[in-house]
Amino acid sequence: MLEIRNLHATVEGREILNGIDLTIRPGEVHAIMGPNGSGKSTLANVIAGRDGYVVTEGEIRFDGKNLLEMAPETRACEGLFLAFQYPVEIPGVANLYFLKAAVNAVRKYRNEPPVDAMDFWELIHERMELVQMADSMLKRSVNEGFSGGEKKRNEVFQMTVLQPRFAVLDETDSGLDIDALKVVADGVNALRGPERGFLVITHYQRLLDYIVPDYVHVLVNGRIVRSGDKSLALELEEQGYALYNEEPGRARRVAA
Amino acid sequence: MRSTTRNPVAPAGWPLETVVMTVTAPVLSDRYRSAFDTFLANRREPDAITRSRRAAFERFAMLGWPTRQQEAWRFTDLSTLQTIDLQPPADALVDATALPNLASAAHRLVFINGRFAPGLSKLAHLPEGTFIGSLNPHPNPSPSEREAEYQLDRLPGLSQHPFAALNGAFWEDGALIHLPRGTMLETPVHVIFYATGGDRAVYPRLLLTLADSAQANVVVEYHGQGRSLNAPVAELHLGDGATLAYHQLQEESAQAFHLGAIRLRQGRDSQTQLHLLSLGGQLARTDLEVLLDGEHAACLLNGLTVGRDNQAGNYYVRVDHAYPHGSSQQLFKSVLDDKARAVFDGMIHVRPHAQKTDARQSSRNLLLSKQALANSNPRLEILADDVKCGHGSSTGFLDPNAEFYLRARGIGAAQARALLVYAFANDSLNAITLTPLRERLTRLLADRLALDDRMTEELKP
Repeated sequence: MLEIRNLHATVEGREILNGIDLTIRPGEVHAIMGPNGSGKSTLANVIAGRDGYVVTEGEIRFDGKNLLEMAPETRACEGLFLAFQYPVEIPGVANLYFLKAAVNAVRKYRNEPPVDAMDFWELIHERMELVQMADSMLKRSVNEGFSGGEKKRNEVFQMTVLQPRFAVLDETDSGLDIDALKVVADGVNALRGPERGFLVITHYQRLLDYIVPDYVHVLVNGRIVRSGDKSLALELEEQGYALYNEEPGRARRVAA
Repeated sequence: MRSTTRNPVAPAGWPLETVVMTVTAPVLSDRYRSAFDTFLANRREPDAITRSRRAAFERFAMLGWPTRQQEAWRFTDLSTLQTIDLQPPADALVDATALPNLASAAHRLVFINGRFAPGLSKLAHLPEGTFIGSLNPHPNPSPSEREAEYQLDRLPGLSQHPFAALNGAFWEDGALIHLPRGTMLETPVHVIFYATGGDRAVYPRLLLTLADSAQANVVVEYHGQGRSLNAPVAELHLGDGATLAYHQLQEESAQAFHLGAIRLRQGRDSQTQLHLLSLGGQLARTDLEVLLDGEHAACLLNGLTVGRDNQAGNYYVRVDHAYPHGSSQQLFKSVLDDKARAVFDGMIHVRPHAQKTDARQSSRNLLLSKQALANSNPRLEILADDVKCGHGSSTGFLDPNAEFYLRARGIGAAQARALLVYAFANDSLNAITLTPLRERLTRLLADRLALDDRMTEELKP
């Protein structure tokens, strides 16, 4: 469902991704691990279509369509979701209405009528329970004054409401305690199914105890240097990234 | 000292006389003087009113037409207004459908070109001793009218404002709202000032007196068509423990000039919320002067300007804390597109004995174009030593991260931007507790910001 071929990307003229090849089929969960500055978040942002991330070579196909030609909103409407590493605060826009606007934007794209108010309300409450979110969060402005954990939880909540076909989780586990981590994993696992794909970007193996991946890839200096099954994550946890004989953090420093 | 070539405000239809100039009087005021004398000769009203007109006129004569060399007018460009041959007010017919409604019961006062229009107005039953109606002074006022008229021009402040002075001299009519002690008026008072253009200079008046512990909810709207100068003055007197929610919507035509002044005096334990929304006019300026004249008086001043094209919107605010334990909050925002400009000049003055004052001021401007411009000028004069005073100001463009966040959820770029602008602006309206008005203003704002209907629907609380 997602095919990345020979992807090269630059940020502010510096090459961060140096030829990534990755194929994710429906139903699969792939984890990308790597040291700080290896290009993990750049990959997530390139997939989502953020400004400032320039693809210089290669392509990404989503269900056979050229993803890189699509505006970010089109990608979302096609069923792509990015759980942000740093969710943005939007004062003045209530969570609930933001979500409804997002749901209806996708429905409009598919030529479907706006969501029925009762159906939406039921879905919202079911999903809130899943991610253990308080009712009061709905009326609050999007992420405004949320703690780090609440913001990440809100990302997963949005994902479970929007029910994308393919989701990228960009270090959604960072800064979370173990309870919050489980909530995030529950959200992902609730959506797992034969039609959906996930790309879970993480720095730590910990999350993968709860979201068990089908494949694990190691990203170092903008390249996937090794791929394997979930045991690779455990191996990395024990041995670290030094094994790959690369200077850690190069990409981030170059990008800075 | 000032331009002698053309009189920008003196109504051309009024007779001019040759007057011997004194050395100190600006040339300008002499042309006004004859117009003023004619104006006075045609009015029959109590001596007290005539005296107050004369005093106001002399003040204007002394002040003259503002120039940009004066600090208070440095950012207000009157050059276009100055080229207009302004005409005196005249009667005009306005279709009732052109006027806004509150969608709830209201005491309704309509003024066309500053003159009361009884046919368009409607008053429900009023409590004993309450007066709501035309201010037009006549020789036999009722006791409550007399009491209220006595308050006219009694408020200090804005003495340096030439247009307030002109209003004091030339006002023809206005709204008079008087609530006796302890009266809680639940039905809102809806005052509509409509100007029909034709380069007329209109000086409407509003006088509100809330005696001790009285409560009122007032909505004042300025609308119109064509080009005119609207220079209204509102005087708001609050006795001890009185409560006022005052809303002002300025939605005049894009050619109009609006140079208004509001004076507010609050007694002990009184509370005021002022919500000011400015959408219309090529130049719209409101000078607001608040005197917290008793302990524990509190006010919230909440202003929003939405500007586009070459519109200019200015708020000049001065809050004077005269007694201890007062609190004031100034929240002023602007959203500016194209070459629109906004000025916020806000002064917090705390007198030496006004200890435990809590005064806040915030000015936030959102620029939608690189040609838009916002000036913020926060000023503090703190003469007491045990106070909490703070101010903050920010001006900037839309946050690209927020825009991307919305787009990454499927919301189109244009809609995402509109939503962010709307969210920024609508925050100001959320403080309005008069629900039918808030809902109307919310829709008005959404229309103005050209939000897609569906998005607006979802945003409605």
